[in-house]
Amino acid sequence: MGRLFNQMTRGKKKLLAVSALMVMGGLLLLPIFLSVTAVASGGGAPAGGPPADVVAAQKAGEEGEAEKVEMGRDIYYKTEGPAIGDGAPVTADNETFYPRYNFESRVLLWVANQQHLYYGSFVLAVPIFCMCIEFAGMVSKDKAMAKKYDQLAYDFIKISLTAYSLTAILGGILIFTFLTLYPAFFGYLSSIFRPVMHIYALTFVAESGVLYIYYYGWDKMREGVLKWVHLSMSVILNVIGTVLMFLANSWIAFMMSPAGVDEQGRYLGNIWHVIHTALWNPLNVHRILGNMAFGGGVVAAYAAYRFLSSKTDEERAHYDWMGYIAMSLGVAFLIPLPFAGYWLMREVYAYRQQMGITLMGGLLAWLFIIQATMIGILFLTTNYYLWQALGRMTGGERFQKYIKYLVFILVCGLLVFITPHTIVMTPAELKAMGGQQHPVLGNYGVMSAKNGGINAIIMTTIISFIWYQRGNRVPTVSWAKFGNIFMGCFFVIAQLNNIWLACYGYFIPANVRIGLSVPQVAGTLSCLFLMTPLNLAMLKNGRQLGPIRWGQIPPRSQYAIIMLATAFTWMMGLMGYIRSSVRLFWHVNEVMRDNSPWAYTHTIGFAANVISFNVLFFWISIMFVFWLGTLGAKKIPVPAQAGQPVPSPQPATGH
Amino acid sequence: MTWLKLVEGYMPMQMISELVICILVFSIINYSLKRAGMGLPKFWAGIFVWAFVNVFYLKYRIYPPIPFSVRAIYGTVSACGIFMWVSGSQQEWEEFKRPIINVLDAKTGMTKFIRTALLILLPIGLWGFAYNSFLPNFDEPIELRTVHPAPPATTKVHGKTYVLQTASNPYRINPEGKYDQAYSNAHIVDQSMGRLMKDVNSAEENPWDPNAKGYIKHVREGGEIFFQNCHFCHGDNLNGRGLWAFAFNPIPANFTDAGTIAQLQETFVFWRVSKGGIGLPGEAFPWASVMPPWEQHLTVDEIWKVVMFEYWHTGYYPRTWE
Repeated sequence: MGRLFNQMTRGKKKLLAVSALMVMGGLLLLPIFLSVTAVASGGGAPAGGPPADVVAAQKAGEEGEAEKVEMGRDIYYKTEGPAIGDGAPVTADNETFYPRYNFESRVLLWVANQQHLYYGSFVLAVPIFCMCIEFAGMVSKDKAMAKKYDQLAYDFIKISLTAYSLTAILGGILIFTFLTLYPAFFGYLSSIFRPVMHIYALTFVAESGVLYIYYYGWDKMREGVLKWVHLSMSVILNVIGTVLMFLANSWIAFMMSPAGVDEQGRYLGNIWHVIHTALWNPLNVHRILGNMAFGGGVVAAYAAYRFLSSKTDEERAHYDWMGYIAMSLGVAFLIPLPFAGYWLMREVYAYRQQMGITLMGGLLAWLFIIQATMIGILFLTTNYYLWQALGRMTGGERFQKYIKYLVFILVCGLLVFITPHTIVMTPAELKAMGGQQHPVLGNYGVMSAKNGGINAIIMTTIISFIWYQRGNRVPTVSWAKFGNIFMGCFFVIAQLNNIWLACYGYFIPANVRIGLSVPQVAGTLSCLFLMTPLNLAMLKNGRQLGPIRWGQIPPRSQYAIIMLATAFTWMMGLMGYIRSSVRLFWHVNEVMRDNSPWAYTHTIGFAANVISFNVLFFWISIMFVFWLGTLGAKKIPVPAQAGQPVPSPQPATGH
Repeated sequence: MTWLKLVEGYMPMQMISELVICILVFSIINYSLKRAGMGLPKFWAGIFVWAFVNVFYLKYRIYPPIPFSVRAIYGTVSACGIFMWVSGSQQEWEEFKRPIINVLDAKTGMTKFIRTALLILLPIGLWGFAYNSFLPNFDEPIELRTVHPAPPATTKVHGKTYVLQTASNPYRINPEGKYDQAYSNAHIVDQSMGRLMKDVNSAEENPWDPNAKGYIKHVREGGEIFFQNCHFCHGDNLNGRGLWAFAFNPIPANFTDAGTIAQLQETFVFWRVSKGGIGLPGEAFPWASVMPPWEQHLTVDEIWKVVMFEYWHTGYYPRTWE
């Protein structure tokens, strides 16, 4: 009877806890819902009606007052709407529009913005990983693995939490930088986005609340229904995070490809047009994937740092495993990233040809070569890590002798991928070459060859991953031989198809050539999405050649992870700079001109130095965050006995 | 090594194929030597492959000479590749490091000698490198030329404004007289050597046929304009090697190269031809073009026709977005 009573009390407590959580979540989300309603009504009027400004304008019109409503034409959507406000300010190079310190304001803003973005990306990406890992732990039938996953997800969110407060601080610094150095521009942007500015702020409140409940409630909600509630909170957390990012993206998309305003930059009453500009969705997709890859890279670098500074084999085993998981997640999002980038560029070209040419064929083209080099580094280091990881598996050595062939394909693909179209050379070299285009290498400088190059690299990475999956296992299914032949043929055909299409691209019209990227990408993605599951199916109940010796991986692999993360960071800084500087001398493209003394494009060297400074600053500060993480960490106390095999990493219990 | 020709039209694939063959031959030789117990140490194999690709192949095999900046990129990437190869597994890495460790440990007379020699030669080499870099250099500086600057949104030629994103060539028309890119694409000559020798009999295909009309007739008219005005610089074969070409540096654009007009919208070429070198925008540093602004010599119609001829003759299609 007492037991039953206890169970009932426990059940009641759970119910109470769930209800309390739901109420809390509801309260956190309430302001957002309220403000969304307000937006729909234009800022205060009942839902469903036209925006308040429009209502006022209509009313004025109806009453036949002296002031007549002026209509404007949307520069992108070509729709008519009542022009509201004075439009974009026409600025001049003076202290009123551009107050300044004795330093280049643009660089100050650049650094503040980039640091906020780094941390913002990190704290948006990590909860998504946590959600996936926590879910994996919950559905895992192996109790030990479930605990390991749970611990890992907790480790991830712990790092993210400190970074979260830094993100908020950097966001504040960014706003103050805008207000003090670019008041006219910021004022204009705020006036256009006024209906959603507060939603952004309120969403932050909701994000913080949910994050804190998610983190601090980890132990309390570790079992049963509460665990599912806990997981649901991570879903809510990520939904809010994604909304936040989409809103922030709408501002930069508006600056690049404005819509919802007329030629003078006057708001036309439709906030959806302002948000949903030509480049908003491609930017959203690209940034989600980029953030995930970046977040994975940073967490993997944390694990690598902890691995290298580990004192015991247990610690090494744990951080080796953590690094592997984080890197795998990062790379999983890295693979589709080039395709998302391709879509974004396509949309940029479709929006403004000049913008596309400035980016990829003109002024900023060399930065794209640097970007290609960075992408190459990412894939090369990923492959290298996987090859090193083969060494910690019994049986992995049977694949290592073929590494040289993969290296050759990777290097050839990368050389084609990074060959510049516009070659840097002295006039003497130009003369010796006999023209601007090299007759042999010039062909590698165009898109057709580059698509072939990057697809070859990605396919090779997939092969490395499949080898890794097979490292210590041998398929025992009856159709193993057939499966192997099929997989081999599939990869060969996909690679031949890729090379053939890359060559064929030179002989067909450009619009068809752009379309050719679809079958090329399809071939690569087929390798990923068909061959990887096929491989897993073949390995099901396969023969184990030995355990994975976690922690017994050469330190080179960890340096590769750190390089991968650094390359991610550098590339993110670079692409942010490219995306921003493509506007050239516009604050808002073709609407609000930048008349500050810094409305010119920096030299490549200067830009590279600022990017490097940003990367260095980020890594120094994130090292501080890592260090903070270690302060609260429990030590793993069991020392390893010399000569004994190292067991799989075990999670620490409790947090 | 110019006795072994690079075949025009196949050069990029030829280069990759040659490299593949060389690496395969090297692998086979190394494998055979290993079987015979005389395998090349990993350290020397790595150095040999790098030196072969960068010092020999890219510098002496590929012509015209590859600019240093590109060779530096290739050299760095191939060095990374070789590092990945020699350190792919722990065993190979140990094998690769062994000669270096041996020299550093200097336990034999030979390694002692090498270590001492390196201790002397390395500082001398570095000194020589530093000395060389401090010598005054009278070469012209490197120019990061923007070959295809972004065009303006609109351009005004002979008083009429053209929106480059949406304008189209009025002579690229089908028999019904309507703008038709697909029709003209189907009537360009094949891309191959001796393309002008192609046997074209019908008036629809042959611009020299007296009965030619519509698109193909306009191509001929564009050709006449080209050979009266442009071929002196851009050459009979439109490959940038005209009579006067080598008076300029860089030589005029090679339209047969996949990286020039094949990458551009027809309106871009129209804008460049009309405005010439003097009309290059600010971002087109160092504005290395002496092409005259042809709007001062040709009518708008003539410019459209000559642009169309350039595409027809080279076999390329103007870039379109839809």
